[in-house]
Amino acid sequence: MTTFWPPMRLPERAATMAITKAIGSAQELEHWRQEIDARASADEITVMVCTGTACNAKGAGAVYGAMKKALEELPEGAAVQLKPTGCHGFCERGPIVVVAPSDICYHNVREEDVGEIVRETLLGGRPVERLLYKDASTGEALRSSSEIEFYNRQTRLVLRHNGSIDPGSIEDYIGVRGYVSLARVLTQMTPEQVIDEVERSGLRGRGGGGFPTGRKWRSCREAEGEPKYVICNGDEGDPGAFMDRSIMEANPQAVIEGMIIGAYAIGAHQGYIYVRNEYPLAVQRLADALEQARDYGLLGENILGSGFSFDIRINRGGGAFVCGESTALMASLEGRPGEPRAKYIHTVEVGLHGKPTNLNNVETWANIPLIVERGGEWFASIGTKGSKGTKVFSLVGKVQNTGLVEVPMGMTLREIVFEIGGGIPGGKEFKAVQTGGPSGGCIPAEFLDTPVDFDQLWEVGSIMGSGGLIVMDEDTCMVNVARYFTEFLKKESCGKCVPCREGLAQMERILARICEGEGQEGDVELLLDLCDVLDDAALCALGSTASNPVRSTIKHFRGEYDEHIRDRHCPAHDCRGLFRYEIAAETCTGCGACRPACPEDAISGERRKPHVIDQAKCIQCGACFEVCRFDSVAKV
Amino acid sequence: MAIRLTIDGHEVEAQEGQTVLEVAQAAGVWIPALCHHPAVSSYGACRLCLVEVKVRGRTRLVTSCCYPAREGLEVLTDTERVHRARRGVMRLLLARAPESRVLRALATSMGVTEPSLPTVTHGERDCILCGLCVNVCTEVMGAAAISFVNRGVDRVVAAPFLESSEACLGCGACAAVCPMGSVELRWEEAELEVVPFNNRRPAMRCRECGAPISGLPFAQQVQERLGEKLALAVSLCPDCKRKATALAAKKARPASDAWPHLRAGVREQ
Amino acid sequence: METEIARPDYGAVVEAVVERYDRDPDFLISMLQDLQRDLGCVSPEALRAVAEVLHVPLSQCYSVATFYTSFSLVPRGKHLITVCLGTVCYLKGGKEIAERIQRELGVESGGTTEDGLFTYQPVNCLGACALAPVVVVDEKYYEHVKVSQVDDILAPYASAGEGGHNGDH
Repeated sequence: MTTFWPPMRLPERAATMAITKAIGSAQELEHWRQEIDARASADEITVMVCTGTACNAKGAGAVYGAMKKALEELPEGAAVQLKPTGCHGFCERGPIVVVAPSDICYHNVREEDVGEIVRETLLGGRPVERLLYKDASTGEALRSSSEIEFYNRQTRLVLRHNGSIDPGSIEDYIGVRGYVSLARVLTQMTPEQVIDEVERSGLRGRGGGGFPTGRKWRSCREAEGEPKYVICNGDEGDPGAFMDRSIMEANPQAVIEGMIIGAYAIGAHQGYIYVRNEYPLAVQRLADALEQARDYGLLGENILGSGFSFDIRINRGGGAFVCGESTALMASLEGRPGEPRAKYIHTVEVGLHGKPTNLNNVETWANIPLIVERGGEWFASIGTKGSKGTKVFSLVGKVQNTGLVEVPMGMTLREIVFEIGGGIPGGKEFKAVQTGGPSGGCIPAEFLDTPVDFDQLWEVGSIMGSGGLIVMDEDTCMVNVARYFTEFLKKESCGKCVPCREGLAQMERILARICEGEGQEGDVELLLDLCDVLDDAALCALGSTASNPVRSTIKHFRGEYDEHIRDRHCPAHDCRGLFRYEIAAETCTGCGACRPACPEDAISGERRKPHVIDQAKCIQCGACFEVCRFDSVAKV
Repeated sequence: MAIRLTIDGHEVEAQEGQTVLEVAQAAGVWIPALCHHPAVSSYGACRLCLVEVKVRGRTRLVTSCCYPAREGLEVLTDTERVHRARRGVMRLLLARAPESRVLRALATSMGVTEPSLPTVTHGERDCILCGLCVNVCTEVMGAAAISFVNRGVDRVVAAPFLESSEACLGCGACAAVCPMGSVELRWEEAELEVVPFNNRRPAMRCRECGAPISGLPFAQQVQERLGEKLALAVSLCPDCKRKATALAAKKARPASDAWPHLRAGVREQ
Repeated sequence: METEIARPDYGAVVEAVVERYDRDPDFLISMLQDLQRDLGCVSPEALRAVAEVLHVPLSQCYSVATFYTSFSLVPRGKHLITVCLGTVCYLKGGKEIAERIQRELGVESGGTTEDGLFTYQPVNCLGACALAPVVVVDEKYYEHVKVSQVDDILAPYASAGEGGHNGDH
């Protein structure tokens, strides 16, 4: 038995709940779960206020505070429980408040609305109409999430408890059958049986690589070397992706339980959760969850009396996208710069400190308790032949319903974007959906019927990635998109290898020139040549997938490139200097709102007379376009 | 344990633990490599040593300096794909340091004919960030006086805070391993400067003739580790050391009958 | 407006931070995060102290401090303005907002205004994509920001005292 590894306390963690019991066996866990079940009353009203990062940003803290105060002032005997919950994933409509058991879901709730909710809904049993979700096409007010298309077309498995449990309460997690899988694993299954189950499920890594999880665990188990490590990759760096943030904030115990099961299967006793520093709330919630798990004997020495010991530490990133790459992450965990290294010898054999290490993504770990509970076969019955189970996507960008979407693998992009997402707002045309972050490609309308599946997305020139789905419309310049991603990767490149460091700098320069009206014939061919060098010679996946945004936009939107280069014009009216803002004299009312908005004093005109933009002074900042209430400023 | 693999169709023998580059070089196969040095562990930064390897029917490009030799491995160093990839890398290097004679010569032997790319990044004295100086300083000399600073195109090799490092030994290993000639030891009266790291260390010169030997901290470290007996050896330059050794050997040698015809002509010093 | 930086006892601060992580050099990055927060920057003195206490080469500490964007070797301004330049924020106007802020304050990415009031730092995606474009000033989030609102957001911080905004638009 390895010497036990002391846990480490983070300074900013909240006060621990008083330890009521340390669970010494699976039976005790079951007793306690039944106790919790018994305490819950079907009649008791529960008010759940989402306190995820985005809802907090919109004032959920104040809503929660006001609700707490209001409930304290209720008459004796009014059985209402208040619960802070984690991210529902419908962040644009936050702050979100759900009232159970009537399952009324309120959106965009403000502090001032609390009084009305208490009076009308909690005491009066009536919904507050104006706070309900309105169907975009019919205008109908919908009471519960089960009626809202955004939710009811999803298959929420990994996200099933987001928004209904208090992430700060391990009792809540146990109450929803949390740690039942762990108990079963530790008392009834051998490590090999656990790996068999995961292999049967067909689960593939959710971080982007899509590597079969069961196979990874098996290789790590069979690798020689001690100690072994398990790592949770919470570095979620893809811009536009916040699935892992949501899981870590709303249901941290699921990740922890998954890791304990994995550690048992592999034979590891030490684990790390690596969280990017930009997610302070996730770090906090995980730290608290770990502390509680330890207090209750679910983490640490002799878990549930099984003899198996395992503990987890949290490590934070330093603001480097490349640390999402497994070897760079491990370098970071060793206190060094996040430089990747060759993976000709896999990290399952030589990883952290040169020892066998199993690294999986947050969502991958969160799937494990479910697979153990319902079986690998059940999991494999969902999804497609090559991609099993569900996947959480972050559907963002130019789409009506922005948020987290969990669907079975195999649902088409069309269904996700148009049925769940509600289509493109403002009557605009769909142009492309970008998947897989900076490592992925742009998928145009002709491929909207592509099912979300690892292999099929690959076939249309993109990748699944971690699950970002960025919807773009007719106002998006695809050359600018390629430039954005290339610039992003250039800034995030660690700088170790020549193709990535030098190649991305060359590509960024070319794309910048094109977007600034200085493109030359041969630029597109040169970009493709440079893409080849990166594909063939880059050291890690950051470099070797960097060509995807460029290649896919050149392939599907070549006309835009040509227009930029030959005509020095941006057809999407996005690239500054390659289009003009003009005021339409016919519709301009001369209200004058645009004049003070202009930082360059480029607009002139008398009151009630059509105004004019002096093109020589205009810097195309777009302020007048934003401010005009009559749609008189046009992009030409 | 001996293992067998093939390089370009020819069977070669290798040892467990060797890299494909080592095996190829031993077999006389030329593979360009800039960031590789036998004294320093493989880093895989320059990407010039790319070869194709075939494993389980799949071919892929890998850097031979990092790829472990395995039984039955098929290595291809001379395919169009290999050459195209290597030339692509060399083009990028040439853009960064177009005046470098080392790069130009290497590019010629690699057959790079593609037009040059504009210079978009800059390396101090043609530095290509191969990492040899950093790695030799940390791994081999144990000094860790310099390291990589910043990331991406802003990456440079420097001493902490860009100031002279107290940890620098003045041993010159960095200059010795640099493939580009970017690192140089400049000798002044009592100090040496490691260019371009701004490291300035007290110099140790030959106590006989005054020729530069090494930084004093390095000499002191050697003395500490090897003891007094070799203290003398460290403080003399190679020429003076040779003379001193010859003299000492002559004085220590007992008179002998060997080589009378030679000794006849030898003048007593 | 002068930025006052108290001269802390680096030795004591670093000791406390290093102790928090069981003096394990693996946690160098977490330690530097705490120092960045507590001291406002990872100053050369603090870095030297860390290297000494942990027995880690100073060159490695310096390498880490300059590799990761979380760390600043020089003190930051009184208020930290973070503009999210993740894909969605960028496509919804984040770039124009970033440019506007840079113009208004006369700073580059990572730079601090001459009066020491503001430091501007772009960031790659805060995971609040549904609120795009997002600007954060000292941990206060502003959502669905428009270019024309930049002045209004900055104004309360520029005048004496804290900002009086409640994030509403």
